[in-house]
Amino acid sequence: MRALRQALLIFLAALVPAGLTAAFHPRRPAWSEDTLLPGEEKLQTVLAWGSGVLWIDARSSKEYEAEHVPGAILLNLEDWEQLFPRFLDQWHPEEKVVVYCSSTACELSHEVAERLKANGISPVYVLKGGWEAWKNRK
Amino acid sequence: MRTLLFLLCAFTSSAFGQLAWDNPEQTFNSKPQDESVVAKYRFTNKGNETIKIENVATSCGCTTTALAKKEYAPGESGEIEAKFTFAGRTGRQEKAITVTTSPASQQPTVLRLNVNIEEPIKIQPQFVFWRVGEQPDPKTIHIAVADDSPAKIASVESDNPGVKVQLTELKPGKEYEVQVTPASVSQPGAATLLIRTDYPHDNPQTKYAYVRINK
Repeated sequence: MRALRQALLIFLAALVPAGLTAAFHPRRPAWSEDTLLPGEEKLQTVLAWGSGVLWIDARSSKEYEAEHVPGAILLNLEDWEQLFPRFLDQWHPEEKVVVYCSSTACELSHEVAERLKANGISPVYVLKGGWEAWKNRK
Repeated sequence: MRTLLFLLCAFTSSAFGQLAWDNPEQTFNSKPQDESVVAKYRFTNKGNETIKIENVATSCGCTTTALAKKEYAPGESGEIEAKFTFAGRTGRQEKAITVTTSPASQQPTVLRLNVNIEEPIKIQPQFVFWRVGEQPDPKTIHIAVADDSPAKIASVESDNPGVKVQLTELKPGKEYEVQVTPASVSQPGAATLLIRTDYPHDNPQTKYAYVRINK
């Protein structure tokens, strides 16, 4: 009985740093698949916006050529210097820019979105779930 | 008390696994001429049974890993080599490498590779625009040359005579400012600014910035 009480005390003591980590750690995992990181939007939300969305495919040119969201423009970091002016030719200031890469685990869409924002492009969003979310849409 | 110690030991061993990592988080500062970095993550099997490395997954296609073999006997050491190719990335980069081992009770280990990628020549912003009909007030582009870069900015030109540029050297060889002014913004237009450097001397590099006048 005493051992159980001590185990409970240790468990409660461990809850304090665990709670702080969950609340404040910069790399804490999302609570669920539905949790959005800053700048992310769900596919349903983007589709509800209707027209006025410029899709950006941040994957490799090979993946883009194989398949992409209809109307999407290729823009990745590897070929930024060639692709950025092409993006500018398509972009209109009143459009919402939505960037996607392969999946939730992919970081490229966030990287491309940040670089666009640094160049004054706004608003820019990242598609939660990326290309996988688009492929699995109902 | 003995029961408590047993519980603690049981939980601790399953939570932390038995591969001990020398340096699971590594940070590098790249040089302007670097195109990639290689990090080596050394580990030792501190347990009493052979550990198999089932999978090494990276958070980005830009990072590749190499491992000499998969199974490590008790006391044996090994190394995972991770190569991060910059491919146009700049600034602070944080990549994760997730290592899954068996027995299955072992928790995946997340190795961190952080790189501060210095741009030899940083152009900020790389793009300026005006809306048709607004005032054609000048806009400014800043150019910074990295401290250990031998390059200097030789000139800035616009490929559109309707967009004027003026280069000012703020800090000799290191900081510049380009003032961009369109003659008119009554119609949509575009220009590419050619930012010419003097390096490398046999084939000097040209950087680009862009101007758009949009409806």
